[in-house]
Amino acid sequence: VRSAGDDLLSISVDDPQTAQRLAANLRESGDWIEAVAGVDSVVVRFDIACVLRADAENRLRNAAANISELTEIQQVVVEIPVVYGGEAGPDFDFVCEKLGLSGAELIEMHCGEYTVDMLGFTPGFAYIGGLDDRLVIDRLEHPRQHVPAGSVGIAGGRTGLYALPGPGGWPLIGRTARKLFDAASDEPFVLVAGTTVVFTAIDDS
Amino acid sequence: MTIRVQKPGLQTTIQSRPRTGLRHLGVPASGPADPLSMALANRLVGNASLESALETTLTGVTLAFSTESTIAIAGATARCSLNGEAVQQHATIAVVPGDVVAVGAAEHGVRSYVAFAGGLLADDVLGSPSTYLAAGFGGHEGRALQKGDELQLAGAAANPMSLETPANYRLPMLDAWTVRAGASCETSNLKEPQRLFEQKFNVASRSDRMGIMLKGERFAIESDRQMPSVPLFPGNIQCPHDGSLYVMSVDSGTTGGYPRVAKITRMDLHLLGQLRPGNSLTLIERNDDDAARELQEKHAYWQAWLPDVADVI
Repeated sequence: VRSAGDDLLSISVDDPQTAQRLAANLRESGDWIEAVAGVDSVVVRFDIACVLRADAENRLRNAAANISELTEIQQVVVEIPVVYGGEAGPDFDFVCEKLGLSGAELIEMHCGEYTVDMLGFTPGFAYIGGLDDRLVIDRLEHPRQHVPAGSVGIAGGRTGLYALPGPGGWPLIGRTARKLFDAASDEPFVLVAGTTVVFTAIDDS
Repeated sequence: MTIRVQKPGLQTTIQSRPRTGLRHLGVPASGPADPLSMALANRLVGNASLESALETTLTGVTLAFSTESTIAIAGATARCSLNGEAVQQHATIAVVPGDVVAVGAAEHGVRSYVAFAGGLLADDVLGSPSTYLAAGFGGHEGRALQKGDELQLAGAAANPMSLETPANYRLPMLDAWTVRAGASCETSNLKEPQRLFEQKFNVASRSDRMGIMLKGERFAIESDRQMPSVPLFPGNIQCPHDGSLYVMSVDSGTTGGYPRVAKITRMDLHLLGQLRPGNSLTLIERNDDDAARELQEKHAYWQAWLPDVADVI
């Protein structure tokens, strides 16, 4: 358990699935203002006006030592049709060059079935792990201020799906027209942690 | 019986309590960037501190009333007027149908808050009426106000007492700010972390409700460029590979992949809402224990004027 700030504690875990389970347990406990999973960590925010730091640390350690299984997530498969390259994927050529791949190879490696590791960043932004080992690339040196909704980025062996327009630091290889977040809907989030997604390539016509 | 927006200003939004418990879905807090100033405005009209109110940005707002109301203005210092006659910030103002209230351009600070007795009607989305611009929900149709928009009061004005904020509770709006901060998870990635507290930063123009870019000497950072994404909270300071610093604010992303090299303390987060491009900022180092103790002292000080201050800061 480490400090992430005056009212934040971070705990490292082995993998995204464990992070999701622990964070869900912590939210259910009602002991924390926030409990949020990262890829390999969970950060909690606690009320330093009335909770002692040492007590919070102990409570977090105990929870991490007794992670309970999540109730079964309903398995859904969501197809994500993607236009790769061109205007839809402004970093497509750069990524191909950097990774020594042809455009067709990049598309073939990226298409397929994956599991959503987590949501985060902005509403509905999905982190999707399990990419081919050859698709590992850095984040952009200078994050973009404007990334269109539906953009498909890759970084650090993961795909990121931008559900909303906004700033972003992932190299962009394509875009989907599928709406991934709708605040007006009863179920605003199309994807959640554990959802199966299938990327398919389509042309921009 | 409405309030019509005559001049919307640069970015005027309805804000209220923050959203909590949804960061794991990517939903940030939102709410006022300077909740303490909003609380001061709400206090003067008899509302709870985080009742829905207007937050202006740099250029103020002009409102035409076709309803009776009781209002108050706090936050960034600005010339304010009622039908062209100067009115004071930090004082209860009675408004009758036909009145026009103008909040002028911010002279010091960035955001003024206009509170209305009973609050404003707003879209309650995912547990709060606060506007979240990036996703376009909450507040007034999920967006900043436009000329001609009509706002509705949420409740009948209960004819609140006429009040003024006591002088010692008027937050000073400055050009040079000091903010308490402490370490975060990747502070040790900085080659010289002590330099965080040994220089004056400048607030960059790239500053908004999502975050504040700091200008200063670049930091040398050992950066794992494939750092797995981590949870982020308002006040976390990220340092991308180029060595610049970016302070997360109320609408910031909930996770990110750049090292977290510091965190602004909870007690001083409200100051982020008034940092103006060109202002200077000095970080003062606080360890976690001192930060908790000083927050409790700050709550104790403010409680006499804002009984629900612990919900605010």
